[in-house]
Amino acid sequence: MEWKDIIKRLFTNKLSVFGIVIVFFFAIVAIFAPWIAPPADPDEPYDIPRSGWKIAPTPPDADNIFGTTEGSYDIFYGMVWGSRTAFRIGFIVVGISTLIGIFVGTISAYYGGWFDEIMMRITDVFMSIPFLVAALVLTAILGKGLDKVMIALIVFGWMGTARLMRSQVLEIKAEEFIDAAYALGAGDTRIIFKHVLLNSIFPVLIQACMRMGSMVITAATLSFLGVGAPPGYADWGQMISFARNWIIGAQGNPLTYWYTLMIPGVAILLFSLSWNLIGDAFRDILDPKLQQK
Amino acid sequence: MIDLSKEKLIDVNNLRTYFHTEEGTVKAVDGVSFEIYPGETLGIVGESGCGKSVTSLSIMRLIESPPGKIEEGEILFDGKDLTELNQNQMRKIRGNDISMIFQEPMTSLNPVYTVGDQIMEAILIHKDVNKKEAREEAINMLRKVGIPLPEQRVDEYPHQLSGGMRQRVMIAMALSCDPQLLIADEPTTALDVTIQAQILELMNGLKDQFDMAIMMITHDLGVIAEVSDRVAVMYAGKIVEYADVETLYADPKHPYAWGLMHSIPHIEKDLERLEAIPGNVPNPLNFPDGCKYNTRCPFATDKCRVEEPELEEVEEGHYSACWHVDKLEAKKEEEKSA
Amino acid sequence: MLMMLGPYQRVATYVQDPTQLKGGDLDVLIQKYGLDDPFYMQYGRWVNGLLHGDLGWSEAAGAPVVEAIFDRFPATLELAILAVIPVIMGGIWLGVFSAVHHNDFWDHTTRVFSTVGWSFPTFVFGLIILMIFYGVLGWTPPGRLSNWALELKNTAQFTVFTDMNILDGILNGNISFALDSLRHLIAPVFTLAVVWWAFILRITRSSMLETLRKDYIRTARAKGVKENIVINKHARRNALIPVVTVAGPMVLGLLGGIVTVETVFGYRGLGLLAYETATRLDYAGILGIAMYFGGILVLINLVVDVSYAFIDPRIRLE
Repeated sequence: MEWKDIIKRLFTNKLSVFGIVIVFFFAIVAIFAPWIAPPADPDEPYDIPRSGWKIAPTPPDADNIFGTTEGSYDIFYGMVWGSRTAFRIGFIVVGISTLIGIFVGTISAYYGGWFDEIMMRITDVFMSIPFLVAALVLTAILGKGLDKVMIALIVFGWMGTARLMRSQVLEIKAEEFIDAAYALGAGDTRIIFKHVLLNSIFPVLIQACMRMGSMVITAATLSFLGVGAPPGYADWGQMISFARNWIIGAQGNPLTYWYTLMIPGVAILLFSLSWNLIGDAFRDILDPKLQQK
Repeated sequence: MIDLSKEKLIDVNNLRTYFHTEEGTVKAVDGVSFEIYPGETLGIVGESGCGKSVTSLSIMRLIESPPGKIEEGEILFDGKDLTELNQNQMRKIRGNDISMIFQEPMTSLNPVYTVGDQIMEAILIHKDVNKKEAREEAINMLRKVGIPLPEQRVDEYPHQLSGGMRQRVMIAMALSCDPQLLIADEPTTALDVTIQAQILELMNGLKDQFDMAIMMITHDLGVIAEVSDRVAVMYAGKIVEYADVETLYADPKHPYAWGLMHSIPHIEKDLERLEAIPGNVPNPLNFPDGCKYNTRCPFATDKCRVEEPELEEVEEGHYSACWHVDKLEAKKEEEKSA
Repeated sequence: MLMMLGPYQRVATYVQDPTQLKGGDLDVLIQKYGLDDPFYMQYGRWVNGLLHGDLGWSEAAGAPVVEAIFDRFPATLELAILAVIPVIMGGIWLGVFSAVHHNDFWDHTTRVFSTVGWSFPTFVFGLIILMIFYGVLGWTPPGRLSNWALELKNTAQFTVFTDMNILDGILNGNISFALDSLRHLIAPVFTLAVVWWAFILRITRSSMLETLRKDYIRTARAKGVKENIVINKHARRNALIPVVTVAGPMVLGLLGGIVTVETVFGYRGLGLLAYETATRLDYAGILGIAMYFGGILVLINLVVDVSYAFIDPRIRLE
């Protein structure tokens, strides 16, 4: 399928347009963060400024557009810079782990034999470890912090891509190699390599799309559990950990502090949902085309 | 020769099955009429996409709807019009009075159930017997289709059998309820040539044993010649020639059929190149006006490009849908004297 | 296929680092516990301990690790079982339903729910549930039991058979106890189930759609088989094969979800313990739990492999 065709279809599918618009919106916010929410300390832009030391959150008002959470951290600021954090986590984790996965999968399938066997066993081992638990253990060893979380996510996140890449390469290897071998004579392995990669890339891209969403969710979960971003850091998950004590609300009105949970919560949901929609649409576009009778 | 004075077993009249897709309406079957007499084999031959499979699926009412629909026509069988029956009524007929076997024996059997199970299923649905009797019957059928050690095989899974055996199982399954008509859609195309011969022989033998008619659909002229009594040649959703098998092969009266006969390499002739029919089958979304064959026909005239010919009897029992049979005849005379 | 090596291998790397126990004057302790011995000796000691049923002491739990795990296990088991059942039954049934009603209203609705459910961060969902159903409505309190039930459980009048409260409640003939336990379980179960329910639904649906396109489905119809039998007998079993394949990784994710859910709802089970040990850097504790989870996973994979053979005869005969 032609790229132009794919892009065109991505923009006609209603759901994927919705997804693209949302991602775009978050991207704008992330890029223009320093202007939308100027940091108090330019060297530490991810520290959420505090307008005081109050324990209880305060609702949205003139000073704090989205209100403050426990400890008087400004929610608006956290949301804006949080989108940057989300993209950072997403791109770094998904980017690196996808590259690792592509590399492992490709050479494993390409060389085959016992090398392939070993690589697959290693992949299996990694895959058989419960993700969150492993991440918890890893942060217990390496210490808390967002960068450690990202390392954990990368270390435990490449296997799916590796497997997928490997099966794609194996499929193509069976077809093209034979043709190429005859047609090109000795065959330029580099050409075949490029050919192979270009054809296998689509499912991997789809998977990477979906993982943008799921990685941010997992990172947020870890931050929420306290092993990710430190308190006061502009990360949506971290902000929700502040909200924990307040979801019961004040006397008489249980929903008093809804904003501490809902605002960052909805952000994570939308971010993840939009990537999933794009990935879904992408997959639908590539799929039925192959299945038309 | 078949006895044409007997009651027709199945009578298809002006069948039209269209598919309504996003890109347009595909007239897969566009005014097809034929009949099959009890005990005879009608061969339906044509290239891929000519509508032969859709015709058979229409008879079985297995057309996926949407997007397909039987727009017009009647299919008279056993005093009923099959196009008017609801699915419940059709189900009683399928596998029971009319059975069908398909091209790919590899994928046409459910991989997670035993062969015996699948045959028994057909029996249990249509006949009033218990499981034990059904099993006996299934083993019996396996024996009849020439599978050795049927008592063992009956409990095996499809993947444990070879392609030829699987097709035999399909036949066993189709014949298990003693149908009057067996529709075979390219049953041997996916098989080795030697196995092909065996299966055809089997089908012929069973035809007599079970006293049933066969509708043999294929693109393979050799298969048609081997098993058919009469033949209908299809092109672009229509029947273009309709005759008994010897006449068709000896004396085709439609340019397409004639072209097909010509393209078969003969051992006796000494040809320098294979004669293929020039051009391609037209796109079903964009059929030409007039006679659908006009784009490839050496005898085409302006009339052919505007008016569509109907099937007409050119001699007894021999029909052709062409405006210029005479031109074809002239050409044949020419070749004979050359 | 049995990944016995899995948990062990990871653990090996972990044991290297406990030498970095945080500060203070621990020289004596280090000597005593041999913490500055080369890593393989420590590992050997740990495995030795493991084989003797001793996983060390958990600071977070204030008890030997093994004891802490067994103490918390039934609670988690109860939660997991109650969550898995609707996930599998509901998810599969809906997946089939959705595929059969391909592209009509119901299909689109379920697809939307499925995508949203999958994108919902579990902890956020859990918190929202807690906020609404506990904060506003007071129906689903956190924890395992209300105070009165907890008190009752510790007295002689109540026999603890399995430490799975609903079951125990029924076995003791005390329905209100069972109901109270159920009340505490509904919210965490629902939260845990939602995400995985969405996942199974989506996989089942797409697998079913593909299966319905297969030739043998056409053969079944040509035999005169009733449509609902075609779907339930012929199609479903084949469609489930790829679903079973993902069952293993799904359980993996579910384990992670258990940690989150128990933490959010203050449900005293293994997940909560995992959280506590991790945040307090309780190495023995977290290692023990990781080991335990790894073992459970191996078991689940075994079950999955077995059910594979059950469903697909092609595998059986190999």
